[in-house]
Amino acid sequence: MAVRVLGWLAVLALLAGLVAGFGYAPREAVQGNVQRIMYLHVPAVLTAYLAFGLVFVGSLGYLLTRRPGWDRLALAAAEPGVIFTGITIASGSIWGKPTWGTWWTWDARLTSTAVLFLVYVGYLLLRGMIDEPDRRARAAAVVGILGAANIPIVHFSVKWWRALHQPSTILGPEPSPIAAPIALALFVNWVAFTLLLFYLLAKRTEIARLEDMYAG
Amino acid sequence: MPDNWSYVFAAYGLAAVVLLAYWRRLAARTRDLAGQAARKRP
Amino acid sequence: MRRAWIVVWKDVLSERRSKESLNALVFFALLLLFVFQFALGPDRARVETALPGLLWIAFILAGLLAFGRTFLVERENDCWEGLVLAPGDRSAIYLGKLAGNMLLMALVEAALLVLFALFFSLDFTGALPALALVLALGTFGLVAVGTLFGALTAQLRARELLFPVLLLPAVVPVLLGAVTATQTVLAGQPLAGASSWLTLLAAADVVYLVVGLLTFEFVLEG
Repeated sequence: MAVRVLGWLAVLALLAGLVAGFGYAPREAVQGNVQRIMYLHVPAVLTAYLAFGLVFVGSLGYLLTRRPGWDRLALAAAEPGVIFTGITIASGSIWGKPTWGTWWTWDARLTSTAVLFLVYVGYLLLRGMIDEPDRRARAAAVVGILGAANIPIVHFSVKWWRALHQPSTILGPEPSPIAAPIALALFVNWVAFTLLLFYLLAKRTEIARLEDMYAG
Repeated sequence: MPDNWSYVFAAYGLAAVVLLAYWRRLAARTRDLAGQAARKRP
Repeated sequence: MRRAWIVVWKDVLSERRSKESLNALVFFALLLLFVFQFALGPDRARVETALPGLLWIAFILAGLLAFGRTFLVERENDCWEGLVLAPGDRSAIYLGKLAGNMLLMALVEAALLVLFALFFSLDFTGALPALALVLALGTFGLVAVGTLFGALTAQLRARELLFPVLLLPAVVPVLLGAVTATQTVLAGQPLAGASSWLTLLAAADVVYLVVGLLTFEFVLEG
């Protein structure tokens, strides 16, 4: 019941986000309306980071307590995490085509996000390959913990590597400085995506719980 | 720079399709499991 | 700590007797050399420009082969339960395996440097101390994660597929840092120029080691 309310709340917030992104936020001076993709791209990557943080929490929780609920959290967070990461990459790429002229550049954020995507797709593949619940949870937890610990390391290494090969372009994904209406639109969309994440988490953990109940 | 609305709609459309597809998968599995629960209850 | 030494010594002794891993890995390195040459063509300048990257591709590929087999000996000879049931600190086993793999990689990398120098008429002698440091820092990162994931995937049917899939994204920072630092060293520039990268590598090594030490016991159960 509460889950259904959460779901409707998420839908409302997403609609509000669309209104903010398309109606309220102004047309950006340099890039034009293609900049509105940022209202999708930035909240998506923030939500993905939150999701992977929850994977870390769930992984740690399972290794420390061995209670399956933590492992269910890790799994339930990894799936939307990968989805939001994919959305980040796709939207970034689609934004890049008209603005930078190519579908892909080894831009720092796109590259780090792509590496993140690869790490957690691997996480899900690993989970898919182990049937025994405790072994699967333990193996996944180890990968989840290393993956999370690696996130800042990947971020810096890619950023420095990028700085070596190309000075940062003026036309970054976010306009600088950020005007108030743009910041508000970003904020509303970020809240909406976070609500959506929690809704998906609630549904996915429930499914996992029921599956565990009927398997045993 | 021209407005490139097609790109904007492509990005949002892709995101919407993927999220909707995931949500529908979750909803379907929930229904299946609820059905299983009903059958196991008697 | 003594247990770690026992594990290393056991592996070193069994390897000295059979020499299977080291021989095959060095031969694999030689084959890679040929693959690189054929892939890049006869222009020597191209190889020289790509050299730092080629070296680390070779190290990573050799590592994939080497670490994937880290626990294969135990699996094949039914010694896995022996490892699992042995009393005491499991992280000692991790350290032992890590040290053994470092030794193996050191030998393979030395052999690879010699082969590269031979076949591509390169001279590493000037850069050698700095190069050794960079190689050590980078390889440690590879080995720390590789030993952990190697043990993790040892129990899976699909280990040959999953091990590279898990390892490669995890060692991206090591690759970036090591290649950049190697480039600096081979270009004859002072090592201080790459100091931030070396710091990053060292920090990454510490993180990977700590995670490995803390989580290895969970990998080894059952």
